[in-house]
Amino acid sequence: MQIFEYNGSALVAMVGKNCFAIASDRRLGVQLQTIATDFQRISKIHDRVFLGLSGLATDAQTLYQRLVFRHKLYQLREERDMKPETFANLVSALLYEKRFGPYFCQPVIAGLGDEDKPFICTMDSIGAKELAKDFVVAGTASEFLYGACESMFKEDMEPEELFETVSQALLSSVDRDCLSGWGGHVYVVTPTEVKERILKGRMD
Amino acid sequence: MTKQQANWSPYDNNGGSCVAIAGADYCVIAADTRMSTGYNILTREYSKICKLADKCVMASSGFQADVRALQKQLAARHLIYQHQHNKQMSCPAMAQLLSNTLYYKRFFPYYSFNVLGGLDNEGKGCVLTYDAVGSYEKVGYSSQGSGSTLIMPFLDNQLKSPSPLLLPAQDAVTPLVEAEAIDLVKTVFASASERDIYTGDKLELVIINAAGIRREYMELRKD
Repeated sequence: MQIFEYNGSALVAMVGKNCFAIASDRRLGVQLQTIATDFQRISKIHDRVFLGLSGLATDAQTLYQRLVFRHKLYQLREERDMKPETFANLVSALLYEKRFGPYFCQPVIAGLGDEDKPFICTMDSIGAKELAKDFVVAGTASEFLYGACESMFKEDMEPEELFETVSQALLSSVDRDCLSGWGGHVYVVTPTEVKERILKGRMD
Repeated sequence: MTKQQANWSPYDNNGGSCVAIAGADYCVIAADTRMSTGYNILTREYSKICKLADKCVMASSGFQADVRALQKQLAARHLIYQHQHNKQMSCPAMAQLLSNTLYYKRFFPYYSFNVLGGLDNEGKGCVLTYDAVGSYEKVGYSSQGSGSTLIMPFLDNQLKSPSPLLLPAQDAVTPLVEAEAIDLVKTVFASASERDIYTGDKLELVIINAAGIRREYMELRKD
């Protein structure tokens, strides 16, 4: 039994023109049995930083709780929100603390940095950061997502086109993975608003 | 006392990806030309595509020594068929032969992931996809090999083949014209070469239609 494939997940974040999109599937399973079809994998840290956690769901929840705690402390001390680059460093540090007994999660971080520049990154379960200019993927459907995103991605997409691209890439990829699916959750974030949309796909 | 495990394997994976798409009156079969072992490249110019009969071509990824042996077996059986029946084997006939040949070695398989492409008896495009022990299915398009996980979801998205379980049975062949299908294959391999380390160097395309068989090549990333 593979620990990273116990619950099943699919996560993708993509950069557009002064905006970004972060999307996930909605399935929570225990190996082959589906337990929930409305599981939230993406959480808002603040208006301009979103975190998605793939992998073992219990570790994802615990890690999320610890990160929210740390961010609230930061807000109290610094009287401002964390920049996405800083938040990524925090996640990386928290993961590496557990180097020899890790959290079985692969995070995807997406945010708007200084001057509304979109920022995305992913890391492995022990905190090795991977910054990308175009897109990042995580979860059991990651190989499928790599192929779909690589073929569909274009530079400087406007929010509406970015939404369509991310949605198509996500749905096509989870349809090939038995452990992820049951629809999708897509967040498209611009400097002025956050649009959350639910996708209906193959419900299997 | 735990069971003894072999520390030598008769198999190796030489990597690479194959794709085939069936059209109304054509079939496109494509594979990259990189042959690797582990993290090394053995050659950048190895063809994974083999012409089995007049209108029937096979692309195989996996262990190329087993692929070669399989191609030799099929060629020999095809020659015997030609002697006995005084005609070339049709694509559906070759499809069954391939399945039987693979299952014959069920307990020491050919490490070969095949995609068969050609024209059926009516001149319509025909693609069949196999696993290593001969389980096969006639489909509208397929990919096998190290890049298949990257390629398949995109082909699903662009070609939207109807389920073979639907009643009344719907045609699996794509409504795309030949030039569009070729463009799609080129795009798909360019994307796969970006993210799959075993796919790259050059793309070899074989296009079968009523006029015959022709070959095209396209350069891919060499890293």
